[in-house]
Amino acid sequence: MKSLVFGFLSIFITVYASSATSGDIAAGETRYGVNCFICHGQAGKGMASYPKLAGKEVAYLIDKLETYRAGTRIGPNSDLMIMNAEPLSDEEIANLAAYLSSL
Amino acid sequence: MINKYLALMVSAVAIFATSANAGHHGHKSAVVPTITQEAVLTGLENPWDVAFLDDGTMFFTEKCKGFSVRMPNGDVHALYGMKDSSGYADMGSDLHCSNQAGMLGLAVDPDFANNHRIYVASASTKYHGNGCKTNFERCDGNIVMRFEVSKDMKSVSGRTDIVQDIQFKPFESNHPFGGNGAHNGNRPTFGPDGALWITTGDRHRGVCPQSPTLICGKVLRIDTDGNAHPGNNPPKGYDKRIYTYGHRNVQGIAFRADGEVFTAEHGPWHNDELTMLSNGKNGGWDPQQNVGGRGDCPDEYCGYMPNQKKGVIPAVRAAYMPMSDTRFPDLMKPAWQNNGYSQGTSSIAFLEGSQWGMYEGRAVVGIMGIAFGGTPAGMRLDVYDIAQNGESIRSVIHLPVETKRYRGVTMGPDGALYANTDEGEIYKITAK
Repeated sequence: MKSLVFGFLSIFITVYASSATSGDIAAGETRYGVNCFICHGQAGKGMASYPKLAGKEVAYLIDKLETYRAGTRIGPNSDLMIMNAEPLSDEEIANLAAYLSSL
Repeated sequence: MINKYLALMVSAVAIFATSANAGHHGHKSAVVPTITQEAVLTGLENPWDVAFLDDGTMFFTEKCKGFSVRMPNGDVHALYGMKDSSGYADMGSDLHCSNQAGMLGLAVDPDFANNHRIYVASASTKYHGNGCKTNFERCDGNIVMRFEVSKDMKSVSGRTDIVQDIQFKPFESNHPFGGNGAHNGNRPTFGPDGALWITTGDRHRGVCPQSPTLICGKVLRIDTDGNAHPGNNPPKGYDKRIYTYGHRNVQGIAFRADGEVFTAEHGPWHNDELTMLSNGKNGGWDPQQNVGGRGDCPDEYCGYMPNQKKGVIPAVRAAYMPMSDTRFPDLMKPAWQNNGYSQGTSSIAFLEGSQWGMYEGRAVVGIMGIAFGGTPAGMRLDVYDIAQNGESIRSVIHLPVETKRYRGVTMGPDGALYANTDEGEIYKITAK
């Protein structure tokens, strides 16, 4: 019985993790080029007081974007990010995370 | 490829501009120059300012690293680093960076050939003393240093901190862009009078710009030892180093050929400004709470009000919290207010030399712009034909250059314009 529960749990985690990290890199790059690059620079390199995003973990990027989208302040430029994250869909967030983590 | 693209763009602009402006306003030429752009240095970390010797030797700062010099043969010598930097000939452990603050502007002594002196502005912990414990008290955290550069141009010595009390924001506050280190100004430059001019920012403290004693939100004019220029004429009781006061965050300052000095000032979601300065006068920025018809404001700073966390029509903000408040009788009238927008003005320079054609003598300004709250993005260089009396502009055009976040613009001794970007490049922009 325990092994059965463990098996289902493993499948669930695998499927969940897969869906959470299955963003489209090309679509993410396109979305990044709409306005994200204006602060975070080409290819997420960061500039001025706007942090580098290139190479960050997918889970980290998704968490931050979802936090901003929910209107939660987590740093000095939060108001700016909240405004930009509010219109993002789950798919756009996954795509952006996939693109930035791939750099 | 880029150059060809630029040449095509310039040709298109030329057809319009020549017909619109030929022969106007006493310019020496009606020719629209062909603009080319090439990178001189790449891979830098937030290069903030550059300054030249006559032979093309170029000093430059990187905001969180230190300052270096690029020799005419292309060799680069890292001269003086900040805390935790490496590879520099020497370093100052008190120099640090945080958000907008760090090692920002630098200037070369007009008598460099004899004294080898340069001047560098940076955030520093050295003079905090008993201050800096809250955002609501004095914090002497930005300084201007003087150095002597060695004959071989590979090191510096004799650091002397000639200004020790430019104010610094020590902690995060409840504002947009509210991190510590906000609004430092810190663009030193030498004027044709031989004096050292230094811009400072309001550091998100409401009382700063109109304070007679705190040198935040000011333009200073001093000698190379840090003493006030004897010709400064601030109101009675004001620090004698003050040339003008009532500024928000002046990142650009430059002198027109006739000696008039202009600033480029970053607006608060509205009204970027270019202003011709007048000795002892007021820029009109006063973000204190409970003045000018305003009530309490977050952390005693009204600079982003009203409704500071949401997009608001710029004109509504401007009416509530004006950049140039007309209640001040000694107000300097800006030449340009960006049609009511703020798109992030950074640096300013005047284009010198006949190679610039009809743009000769005009002001070029970096517009950094992040497209916030419905405001169009910047990321360009604009060229302004400013009226002789400094109270208006006749025209503005976009210089056909790459889309970049242009932090600094400086005329080189070769007649080219040099532009440094937050992306990490220093470009040479040439007119023919």
